[in-house]
Amino acid sequence: MPFAVGTISARVAAAPDESDLIRAAQAGDQDAFERLVRAYDQSVLRIAMNLLRSPDEARDVYQEAFLKVFRNLHSFRFDCSFHTWLYRIVTNICLDHLRRRKVRKEESTVVETEDGPMDRIGQVPERGPHSDPERRLWNTQLAGKINGALEALTPRERTVFELRHFEGLRLRAIGDMLGTTEEAAKNCLFRATQKMRMNLEAFV
Amino acid sequence: MSCEETIQEIPLYCYGEVTAEAEENVEAHLAGCEKCRLELARHRVFLQALDARPQLAEAVLLAECRTQFRVKLAQHTDGRAHRSPFRAWAETLREFSRMHIPFRVPVGAMALLALGFFGARFTPEQFGGLGASVAGPMFSTVRSIESDATGNVQIAVDEVRRHMVSGKPRDPRVQELLLSAVREESNPGLRVESIGMLQHNSDSQAVRSALLDAVTKDPNAGVRLKALEGLKSFAGEETVRRTLASTLLHDEDPRVRMQAIELLTAHRDDALVGVLQNAVQKEDNDYVRARCRRLLAEMKASLGTF
Repeated sequence: MPFAVGTISARVAAAPDESDLIRAAQAGDQDAFERLVRAYDQSVLRIAMNLLRSPDEARDVYQEAFLKVFRNLHSFRFDCSFHTWLYRIVTNICLDHLRRRKVRKEESTVVETEDGPMDRIGQVPERGPHSDPERRLWNTQLAGKINGALEALTPRERTVFELRHFEGLRLRAIGDMLGTTEEAAKNCLFRATQKMRMNLEAFV
Repeated sequence: MSCEETIQEIPLYCYGEVTAEAEENVEAHLAGCEKCRLELARHRVFLQALDARPQLAEAVLLAECRTQFRVKLAQHTDGRAHRSPFRAWAETLREFSRMHIPFRVPVGAMALLALGFFGARFTPEQFGGLGASVAGPMFSTVRSIESDATGNVQIAVDEVRRHMVSGKPRDPRVQELLLSAVREESNPGLRVESIGMLQHNSDSQAVRSALLDAVTKDPNAGVRLKALEGLKSFAGEETVRRTLASTLLHDEDPRVRMQAIELLTAHRDDALVGVLQNAVQKEDNDYVRARCRRLLAEMKASLGTF
């Protein structure tokens, strides 16, 4: 899980003076607000990108989420951690996008090709692509299959799965973010994992 | 723990999301069950395979998002700064209403009573007076800090506050503020605006002096032109004519010099001939010089004093 480390380190780095930053931002200090944004925006964008697999939508989520934070920061009362509060905003916006997508029955980013399922989002540059062409082809096919399997999940299952598997967040925190219990998040993760394994059976 | 129960727990066990007790039970079962160990191995392969999903390069996208957000935030804060006072008041009230205040109803009633009491006493514009409101401090500087024998601290604070003053331009207090705005060095736009307001009252000696001062001293040609416009109806007065003649001969901006000519020729006198002859000798702007020559010709005067 490559992202778990990044997420935790960002949180630890932001921790010592985070409440001071939040209080300053609540008092109208724009610089403090910008520092808060900088502490979290990379993970926000990554969550949006992984959940929606669309740079345009991820960009919209980024803007909408941080504007919402800016507008509502005064109502943040330190009842939960700031990252839980922020991720709750982000995941809710992402869930809205995913639900709208389901309603609109948008075209999947995964298409069937002669070489197997292909994720069109693969056109977007990847981090550290493999130099071995055979390995790359295999990975591309597997990636298409994984994204196909993720798209088959319900928006909530997908969100829980992404946050637990790819972001490394604990189920308790995920439950908090989604306004549900840890137990419900557990059941959701279990269902998502089962479906994913079933869809990827031929590959793994 | 049965095989079925163990297989059910494996996904959460791999994420470390089972209780300590469940973890112990799973591990105890796995130690003695080959089939379940195989299932665990298969699940781990599945989890590893998920990492084959490409992680999209976000650096460029992140930079774009940050820039776009900065613009959006600026627009948003700008919009907040320029929202109407009523809307701002309504929003403050809405935010205030979210606060938990014990005895909200009696407190609200008292507040309304106090508002009515003070409101009835402070409505000066209804009686022809000025309407003024004081906003919170715009800027403050601590000048000195001293402590006295009782342990109290005395802090001298310089505060700049914004007052909103409204009234007719003829109102002495409004006029005083407009006259002070004419001398506002940092803002030529404000000087033009205030001269525009004052020129309708240029029969006042103080206003006329301010306009004459602006014509001779203001560094901004636009302000000088506006002040000349205000002096139009007084172009026959001796003091004003002297200033106009000096402007024609010395102002660095040809548009201002042209305007001075126009005002001077509205009241032709013998003294004007000397000024125009002087201007023809000194003027380097063709258009202004031609205008002076034509006026001298109209007045049947020679171009020079020779």
